[in-house]
Amino acid sequence: MKVRRFHLLALLLVFVMVAASCGDTSSTTNAPSTDAPTTEAPTTEAPTTDAPTTDAPTTEAAGCVGTITLGAAVSETGRFAREGKDTRQGYNTWLDWVNDEYGGIKVGDDCYNVELIMYDDEGDADRTATLVEQLISEDQVDFLLGPYSSGLTMSASATAEQYGIIMVEGNGASETIFERGFQNIFAVLTPAGNYTQSALKSLADAGAETVVVAYEDTAFPTSVAEGAIRWAEEYGLEVLAVETYPLEVTDVSAIMTKFRDLEPDVFVGGGHFNDALLFVRAAKELDFNPKGMVITVGPSNPSFVEEVGSDANFILGPTQWEGTMSWSDDYFGTSGDFFDRYVEKWGEPPTYQAAESAATPLSLQLAIEAAGSLDMDLVRQAMYDLDVETFYGPINFDETGKNVAKPMGSIQIQDGVINVVAPSEAAVTDLQYPALPWDEK
Amino acid sequence: MDQFLQALINGVMLGAFYAAMMLGFSVIWGVMGVINLAHGEFIMLGAYTTWVLNKDFGWEPFYAIVLVFPLLFIVGYIVQRVLINRVVDQPILVSLLVTFGLSIMIANAVKLAYSADPRLTDTRFGGVWNVGNVTIPVTKTIILGLALVIMASLWAFLNGTRTGKAIRAAAQNKQAARIVGIDINKIYALTFGICIAITGVAGTMISPTLAVHPFMGAPLTLRAFAITALAGLGSIPGALMGGMLLGIVESMIGIYVDRIGTNLAIVAAFVLLVVVLVTRPQGLFGGLRPIEQAEQL
Repeated sequence: MKVRRFHLLALLLVFVMVAASCGDTSSTTNAPSTDAPTTEAPTTEAPTTDAPTTDAPTTEAAGCVGTITLGAAVSETGRFAREGKDTRQGYNTWLDWVNDEYGGIKVGDDCYNVELIMYDDEGDADRTATLVEQLISEDQVDFLLGPYSSGLTMSASATAEQYGIIMVEGNGASETIFERGFQNIFAVLTPAGNYTQSALKSLADAGAETVVVAYEDTAFPTSVAEGAIRWAEEYGLEVLAVETYPLEVTDVSAIMTKFRDLEPDVFVGGGHFNDALLFVRAAKELDFNPKGMVITVGPSNPSFVEEVGSDANFILGPTQWEGTMSWSDDYFGTSGDFFDRYVEKWGEPPTYQAAESAATPLSLQLAIEAAGSLDMDLVRQAMYDLDVETFYGPINFDETGKNVAKPMGSIQIQDGVINVVAPSEAAVTDLQYPALPWDEK
Repeated sequence: MDQFLQALINGVMLGAFYAAMMLGFSVIWGVMGVINLAHGEFIMLGAYTTWVLNKDFGWEPFYAIVLVFPLLFIVGYIVQRVLINRVVDQPILVSLLVTFGLSIMIANAVKLAYSADPRLTDTRFGGVWNVGNVTIPVTKTIILGLALVIMASLWAFLNGTRTGKAIRAAAQNKQAARIVGIDINKIYALTFGICIAITGVAGTMISPTLAVHPFMGAPLTLRAFAITALAGLGSIPGALMGGMLLGIVESMIGIYVDRIGTNLAIVAAFVLLVVVLVTRPQGLFGGLRPIEQAEQL
């Protein structure tokens, strides 16, 4: 009832705003052209960037000899405001834990408290580069943590590389980040090319033999799709057709008609959340019934089920992490323990962006402890040597800084519930295969 | 053959939607000479209104038309009376800027109210008819039917009623229309209201098939622009034929070209536009144009 009233009120508000904007113009009789630009909705006020949000250790752990300073540029406003918030909360979950519970990072026989300096990058790549430079030269941070998104990570890591400072990140999945020969970038998350790996493996194991792929021809979906084709061949699935489509596509019936006539077992597709909705509706409209549907972006988001309803059943999607996964470590406990800790601290369930943001500094901490030193070269070597399982999954960096140990999880929507079905180490239920036709879902 | 028939059906369905979607844009341009860059945003408003009625009140999306039409008519009427009317006689750049500002404002207002999450409405008319190996989606058949009804009604209104004739008169020669006693401001507001109402209904029609989100408007405006230029300003048969032509061309290329078909289809649409503009600048079907302009062509 409340939701209904809210939506109605919101709609009313939109109409009133439209009317109001007209009203404003009516008061000025001449040169309406100058009014036009002012009708743009105001962007959120830029915060005072000069004052960083420092989270200094609240309690000095007994016997700690000093402080390790970490720095990060993370969106607080702009287009990544939501994901940036998850990232900040993830970093802070680790920070409070390491200072208050764990008793500081152990370096040899000494322990160090941790201070984290974060600036708002406003979702802008140039701003990110400037802020990272400021963190290095003015704040003199010891190590860097990554921003949110592949694009900003590209920018931030270039500056970090220039100064030879290690940057550990958990929110830039695009493969291009790791193809530049950098020595100082490490990412705990699974790169884009492996997004569909576990889903395709479990589908192949369940008996699927053929696959079709459709992807939006922009950077991230292309990485995901090229990976999907690679993994499909690896698992013995025959790729029957590959189709691309442009950003902001409004009709995919041609692609789905072609695919339907090929009768593939598995459909892999996607780029943006919008496309996920388009694909589901187009497949249903054309009575295209693949036995398995893997959609890159959308299914792991609860609002997907909300919008699509029972048509969402049987659809698979990749996920970096879910609270129900069965990973564990000696620090945060199991994935479920981390989930509970996060809910208690922030009053909302962790997204996978939050989980990987907590795992990011954790991996740095483990490398520092293994190195037994704060020397940049020794820590870098320890990062390369790191091979651990955490609440977020296994972490083992290859020579480019990608985490090659962590499989991408796959969820399947089963009776409207998002369940992890692959990889087997993290699964909570079995894959449902083949999918029922649309009219029986 | 089956594939060809399927491509044709997909194309006709897509074309019908294009035609209904761009009608309002085309008539506003034809009658007032205003290029409404906020056109796609009015489609979005119609779609969101439908979504609210569907999700929160359980309305069948297609029934929401009875509310969307009058609501968007009122919005359109007011927008015209207090905003567009002030810029109709000014250089085209002014009305472009005003409607551009309006589009940004509406999109961001909706984003504030509903977040940027994409939405869909649920229709119970969701099944398919299988005829041989050809699949006919029920939802899109309804869209096709509604599009034809809207176009026929608008045509009947413009040609058969006194007000409709006044609208056409205002489009052809504003001065002469004034001389014979037509209240131009009122006619313009009425035209804008009707066009925005139709545009909103187009939003209702696609809400079950296309993701509804605050920034869905811009590509639709661009498409409406292209079809209008292709078909001729304010011409209803032109809108239908232009929409169908584009829909079928897109569908055929999408199906018969491997790998890049859907991308190439969009290129083809605009190549078609360039060819038509070079060879027949008044569009394929002529349509509502001020007399002096028609004489020049």
